[in-house]
Amino acid sequence: MTLASKALPAILVVEDEPLIRMEAVDMIEDAGFKVYDAASADAAILMMEQYDDIGILFTDIDMPGSMDGIKLATYVRDRWPPVAIVIASGKIDYDRMLAPLDSTFFPKPYPTGQIVKTLKDIASRLT
Amino acid sequence: MTFGSDILTRVDPQSAVAVLAPRGRDGAVAERLLTDAGIAVIVTTTIDALVDLIHAQIAAVLVTEEALDADKTDTLKDALSLQPTWSDIPFVVLSNGGTHHRTDNAMQRMDALQNAVLLSRPLHADELIRSVRSALTARERQHHARRLLEELQLRQRQLEESEAKFHAIADSVDQMIWTTLPDGFHDYYNQRWYQFTGVPEGSTDGEAWNDMFHPDDQDRAWGTWRHSLQTGESYEIEYRLKHHSGGYRWVLGRAQPLRDATGQIQRWYGSCTDIHDIKLAQEQRQLLLAEMNHRVKNTLAMVHAMVSQTLRQSDNLIDARASIQSRISMMAQAHDRLVHTTWTETRIMDVTNAALIPHRMNDDRFTIDGPDLPIGSKQALALTMALHELATNATKYGSLSQVDGQVRITWYTDNTPLEPNFNFVWQETGGPAVEKPMRRGFGSRMIEQALAGYFSGNVELDYDRSGLCFKLIAPLMGLQA
Repeated sequence: MTLASKALPAILVVEDEPLIRMEAVDMIEDAGFKVYDAASADAAILMMEQYDDIGILFTDIDMPGSMDGIKLATYVRDRWPPVAIVIASGKIDYDRMLAPLDSTFFPKPYPTGQIVKTLKDIASRLT
Repeated sequence: MTFGSDILTRVDPQSAVAVLAPRGRDGAVAERLLTDAGIAVIVTTTIDALVDLIHAQIAAVLVTEEALDADKTDTLKDALSLQPTWSDIPFVVLSNGGTHHRTDNAMQRMDALQNAVLLSRPLHADELIRSVRSALTARERQHHARRLLEELQLRQRQLEESEAKFHAIADSVDQMIWTTLPDGFHDYYNQRWYQFTGVPEGSTDGEAWNDMFHPDDQDRAWGTWRHSLQTGESYEIEYRLKHHSGGYRWVLGRAQPLRDATGQIQRWYGSCTDIHDIKLAQEQRQLLLAEMNHRVKNTLAMVHAMVSQTLRQSDNLIDARASIQSRISMMAQAHDRLVHTTWTETRIMDVTNAALIPHRMNDDRFTIDGPDLPIGSKQALALTMALHELATNATKYGSLSQVDGQVRITWYTDNTPLEPNFNFVWQETGGPAVEKPMRRGFGSRMIEQALAGYFSGNVELDYDRSGLCFKLIAPLMGLQA
């Protein structure tokens, strides 16, 4: 483990579609981050409570269960204000207005290069 | 001198004077005087002939008092009583002697004529002509009044016909039709309105119509209507109208003002068209398009993930290209099957058979056995992809690479009472000795990680030397979650 990767925060990936979650995890791991992943908002909150090294929430919007990605982002912003929020979704125009301020949006499929760059920028601000 | 009925054919009785003076010379004298004065004359000799002329609407009658036979008074009376209301035939009666001191009988005979003037004899030419002319003038006025009356009656009839026609049209169309006074007071609805709403006739006159609208639409409809009344702009709005069934249906309301020559609004004519079914179809189409968009995006994201993974784990571009192509065509086939089942659920036997079609040779080396359970669209897609990876791997490195190699695919539900599990097994036999691969490519990750995720279950991949064995164990609920 290099000195740089030590400084990087861990990222929690929340995505209900396993194949796409796999891809997101690979993409972010390849960029040097430690990654946790969850298939639902409820599972994500349990992980947030369990691991205090998570610095960035990377979530989908449209997910089954009691909370969608927007509600999850709002909840995380309230409970863990320092955690940066990145949202990736196939439908971003409408939901953008409802998300917490300072959230970063990406369309799906993932623009890998841009996402990795943004995550690194956020990480450098956090540390 | 000419007589009787042959005159009728030449002289129009409606503009002629009948002369009845059967005795003496008075008749002939009167005829000459009147004819010379340019007045058409029909000479007649009996009361009965006069009655015919009365029925023919003779313009006026010149008659001698002695011709008014007492026996015929009733005949004359009856003929006159049959005259239409506008008609009051003027009689000029040449008296027996002076015009004063008449007997009661003589008075009664005169009264029977209803509209009579008495002229004394001997005849005085100017007086006779003046009296007859004035009678003709009076008669002309009656005809004028008759024409006005007939015209009025015609107008009235036309109005009634027009009204009946309007109601027939207004009640035959599918639309509800209504009218209001210039201030917006509703004073007419066609039958369709009452059929639709089921309210008693007249109960929505005035401003009561607003109660028939959905509470959420009342303010908006009221405001739009007020705006039209104030500005004279035509009215158009969609709102929900209470149906007699108790529910609300979407309706398109429209109205136009009718203006007089000065531009003043006289009435508003409006209609309501039931657009509920169209509206629902539109909403459904929007939902469908949104769902479609979501699925397309999701599919593209899955393709993106598959391509990224394949490229990340491939040794060279030639292999990667072949893998990507076969994986995309397999995903396309899986989508075809889902479209056939309208994207809800399909059957696991169908899914399994379809996924293996590209991998079957002439000889059948697959044994497939299991209950034909329903399976959700996501799980069907994931199972298709996993079977594709398993079959591709078996053809390259496993049992299907050997002539005698076999694959046995079975699934079943176990009997755990509270949470029954679904078990799916892929067992290869007759292949070369199996060795655990050095690295895990997209295929094994698809099988080990992604598939388990889609079924909310666990996967065991056993690289047994006698043949690869793959096993999925998932809650039965997970098949359609």
